[in-house]
Amino acid sequence: MLRIPFERLRLDNGLQVVLSPDPAVPVVAVNLWYRVGSRDERPGRTGFAHLFEHMMFQGSAHVPETAHFALIEKAGGSLNGSTWLDRTNYYETLPARYLELALWLESDRMGWLLPAMTQEKLDNQRDVVKNERRWRVDNQPYGDWDERLQAMVYPPEHPYHHSVIGSMEDLDAATLEDVEAFFRTYYAPNNAVLTVCGAFDPARARELIERYFGEIPPGPPVPKLPGDPTVPPVIGREVRAVVEQDISLARVYHAFRIPPYGDDRHYPAQVAAQILAWGKASMLYRSLVRRRRVAQDVVAYAFPIVVGSAMLVIWATARPGVDPAALESALIEEVGRLREVTAEEVERAINLIEARQLSDLQRVDERADQLSMFTSLFDDPDRINTELDRIRAVTPEDVRAMAEEFLGEHNRAALIYVPFGEGRSA
Amino acid sequence: MSGIDRTRVPEPGEVVAFEFPAVQRRGLDNGLALLTARHGQFPLVTAVLVLDAGAAGEPADKAGLAHLTANALEAGTRSRSGEELAWALERLGVEFTAEASWDAVSLAITVPRQRLEPALELFAEIVRQPAFPEDEIARLRDEQLASILQRQKEPRALANDMAARFIFDPDVPYARPLIGLQTSVAGLTRDDVDAYYRANFQPAGGTLIMVGDIDPDAAAALAERHFGDWAAAPRRAVDFHVRRRVEKTTIFVVDRPDAVQSEIRIGDVGVPRHHEDYFPLLVMNCILGGAFTSRLNLSLRERHGFTYGARSGFAFRRQPGPFIIQVAVATDVTAPAVREALREVNALREHGATPDEVSAARDYLAGILPLELQTTEQLAARLADLAVFSLPDDYFQHYPARIAAVDADDVRRVANEHLRPDRLAIVVVGDAQRVAPELEALGLGPVEVHTIT
Repeated sequence: MLRIPFERLRLDNGLQVVLSPDPAVPVVAVNLWYRVGSRDERPGRTGFAHLFEHMMFQGSAHVPETAHFALIEKAGGSLNGSTWLDRTNYYETLPARYLELALWLESDRMGWLLPAMTQEKLDNQRDVVKNERRWRVDNQPYGDWDERLQAMVYPPEHPYHHSVIGSMEDLDAATLEDVEAFFRTYYAPNNAVLTVCGAFDPARARELIERYFGEIPPGPPVPKLPGDPTVPPVIGREVRAVVEQDISLARVYHAFRIPPYGDDRHYPAQVAAQILAWGKASMLYRSLVRRRRVAQDVVAYAFPIVVGSAMLVIWATARPGVDPAALESALIEEVGRLREVTAEEVERAINLIEARQLSDLQRVDERADQLSMFTSLFDDPDRINTELDRIRAVTPEDVRAMAEEFLGEHNRAALIYVPFGEGRSA
Repeated sequence: MSGIDRTRVPEPGEVVAFEFPAVQRRGLDNGLALLTARHGQFPLVTAVLVLDAGAAGEPADKAGLAHLTANALEAGTRSRSGEELAWALERLGVEFTAEASWDAVSLAITVPRQRLEPALELFAEIVRQPAFPEDEIARLRDEQLASILQRQKEPRALANDMAARFIFDPDVPYARPLIGLQTSVAGLTRDDVDAYYRANFQPAGGTLIMVGDIDPDAAAALAERHFGDWAAAPRRAVDFHVRRRVEKTTIFVVDRPDAVQSEIRIGDVGVPRHHEDYFPLLVMNCILGGAFTSRLNLSLRERHGFTYGARSGFAFRRQPGPFIIQVAVATDVTAPAVREALREVNALREHGATPDEVSAARDYLAGILPLELQTTEQLAARLADLAVFSLPDDYFQHYPARIAAVDADDVRRVANEHLRPDRLAIVVVGDAQRVAPELEALGLGPVEVHTIT
């Protein structure tokens, strides 16, 4: 397996930098992770970290409104940002000659965002984000599944209890003062990781990064997470909800608390998700889709999140005419088979994960994002090279033990979607 | 202070040369072409088999058959059940994908180099020796029917399907979804799949693409070993005439009572992939709605806050595919959003674009090419374009120059020629009771309300 090279440095203001040169490509990726996400939001301000991310594209003291997107696109580059539970990232990939442009743009909004903020821009982006919520959640079949499951798996005082997109009421309540306070609290060099990956000269990049980011003053210590980040390792009982929606096919979601990402005990859950539902030889596809024909599709995903407990989600969509209760008992029975998982099933999952990682790392933007992630979450960019060892170390016995400890009724949040009028039968 | 002037946009450095990878072409005696290209430093190979078996050649009463046949390949071979096949592939870390588009069926795997030989052997077995077990075909057909049911409740998918239906005359294949209709798919049988496979899944007119950590000789040897004795059959002729459904702008409201958002599609019949205006249209569309800083997105999102995003695009196919503007907006701004979108179309027609806009669009389109060639899968997809549309092997070497040759006059000319506000199909999937009267009041044309059952 190929090794991704990198070097690290830290500016005096606390900005962590990772450089990963690759002279064989004609492009460069610039990626920033800020250690702030929906987990940091205060009561009454759900969705704010994401709304703030939108404001980061509205110009800064020296960058006019819309110029951020326009300059990158004119350079032949692509760009975006995203907000998640644990972090907010910003990234651009460009022809290699435009590295300095990206550093100028990223440093200006890290250091000089507030002079460009106006009520008009906030109101506009509030409308955009409310439409994003309608598009992703409110006007989409099953669109609120993650919001509902987070609220079922984590108690109200936990930072993961609410969704990234937030509520319409809280979006309406956000003010310019919130923007200023959030910026001053979280958007400081000492709370960020900057990664550059691709075709560039490291000495020149170090010089440019010092020049553009070095004069940004550090912020105050970042406050600890709101609420209570500690949770018992399991929910302790089954939590259930049945939701009627305008859908054609019923769907069963099961979610479980699992050890947090980064913890050695997390990796068996990652492997289990692939054993269950990745590929046509996966356990649930073989049983629920191919043989028993009760499910239209199956999905399993272990959230790589770090505060207290992570979450494993499994879902199966019912074939027409299949009683969701019958689908759910079949799902429970088949997931139970993880307790007798074979070495072949584990090997298949690990080989798929390995091949996928190799393919993903072809992209400099993916490499940059992983380097930022591992530095931000674990202070260890070399995990981009060693993470697969943790996956490969997972044994059938680890998966069986994980299933026994975490995937039972005592730790299950069950969310059942049914078409309108069929709620009582579920 | 470091003394840098932050008010000045940094100048770019020296150009880093980018050359599209050299494409090597070989051919097998049975008519199968082989395209190879080296890519990157990763020990990976992507293999794609592009067959001249696209859904445009389906019988109209069997819509969805190409999709079903492509899916059915994985149902098993003469020597392995579907489950055994999936095990054999996935133990190697390989996922097999099969996709039917209008013009082709594409079958693909991406494999770590050291497992290429066994993976390609399985790949050839899937493609050449499918068993089409009756019971599995019935399962896949029923899943396809269930997917059609699901699309009726997914506003985006429903809007896309309805746009196709109202842009094209009902006799045009493009008027129906690739996945087919309830009425056509319900009747599909194992014999239909087998017949479609025998007539269309064959080497003549097909191309095997191998990209990544492999040299042309090794690729040719593998191609010969696995596909050299694949017997060719006569190629089918796919012939249909594309006509639009309406000659005067009409608004089609597809009712979703109580929807909080309207999914809007503003469409017309576009042009085929081989059209003399292809490059001017790329640049023109980039200015209108092909990028974030395009006019439609800046207006509907950044100025008005109507939407999370607005874009436009031509679907280039062998025959004229659709041109579509798509945007999802809050229900109460549905009519204003349609009005503003058309205002942008009319402004581009009347006044053209500024020289700055044209050069920005050219720079974007030429610059983005190497960014989209980072993986073996991405490069293979470009080579598949060469195969599907019979483009010359050095086509992408000349791509930047062809983009650079487009000027503001071209942009204005093709906007006037190909964006025609007088003959649009405007499809709105939303709450008819709330949006239909306002849409009527726009005075753009008649409003028809449709109900999906």
